[in-house]
Amino acid sequence: MSLVNFTTREITCKIVYYGPGRSGKTTNLQYIYGRVPENRRGRMVSLATQTDRTLFFDFLPLELGSISGFATRFQLYTVPGQVYYNATRKLVLQGADGVVFVADSQARQLDENVESLQNLQANLLDQVVDIRGLPMVLQYNKQDLPSDLILTPQELDDAINFRGVPSFPADALRGGGVFETLKGISEQLLRKLSEESPT
Amino acid sequence: MIPTRSIEPWIKEPLERFVAEAGARLTLIMTTAGQVLAQHGFTRAVDVMAAAALGAAIHSSTREIARAVGENEFKALNHQGIRHGIYLAEMHTPRGRLLALVVYGTESSVGLVQLFYEDLVRELREACPREERRKPVIASNFERELDESLASLFRR
Repeated sequence: MSLVNFTTREITCKIVYYGPGRSGKTTNLQYIYGRVPENRRGRMVSLATQTDRTLFFDFLPLELGSISGFATRFQLYTVPGQVYYNATRKLVLQGADGVVFVADSQARQLDENVESLQNLQANLLDQVVDIRGLPMVLQYNKQDLPSDLILTPQELDDAINFRGVPSFPADALRGGGVFETLKGISEQLLRKLSEESPT
Repeated sequence: MIPTRSIEPWIKEPLERFVAEAGARLTLIMTTAGQVLAQHGFTRAVDVMAAAALGAAIHSSTREIARAVGENEFKALNHQGIRHGIYLAEMHTPRGRLLALVVYGTESSVGLVQLFYEDLVRELREACPREERRKPVIASNFERELDESLASLFRR
């Protein structure tokens, strides 16, 4: 749940980058880390294996600046994509305000994308969170690969975008679509905060 | 003067008292997702946000191991180094489960921290207001400000 401090007028939101193994979640954060001025970001923490696969999570705090008079901070997390690490994936998902689902555009990875989406839904349900109420965007990463290896954004929309959430083609390694994806989830998150009704 | 930062005002006094009595160098009170509600103590050597994220992760994974071996939870976890120790523990409040991450030095000890931690939990429970109703926070026309913030963030 977003943390709102009315006294100092600060908002902190947790965004989780979710998706199958090697889809480019960590690459998204690394690109953002490299691109954002030092005074607008904190230290990037990566808990990875010796072969640089995410073991627990990557963490990157960002200072967005003032929105509606509130100093707005985002805490970006990735989950480990490998099937084996579902227990830790669940832990990172706790308290997420929004999810960026990073799909691998390669045609042969379609089943992994579907499985990971189902896994996301199941893990959210475990925490009594309905995926339909959670701000979410899809990113179709690796769109820079040869066209005979990948599905187009339209084909991926048809195959995995069941909720019709905003989707963004990307080439996270070179930064293509990374900004647009972050902007997309930011808009959804802040829209929710602007509409939040008394519970 | 020891710096305090408190997003939830009701935490401030019990926290300051705890840090003074336990001789802690730094204490963070945070949600189980790792968002810091209050901090008191010297933070020069510690990246607070990273420490909170890691503390929450340690706690979550320890809790799962507890479940795996048939325990409801492990109450607290302590790591003792040469110059610093950390004490990480959960508390139940009317606002739900919260975590305390205490960093202490050679002038204190895990025993002292544990001793006053019980007082901290009791005082926080007493001071804690019930859950507030959620209200809209952001004005509905936030898009322009968001665009500008992100553009400056990505130097576009």
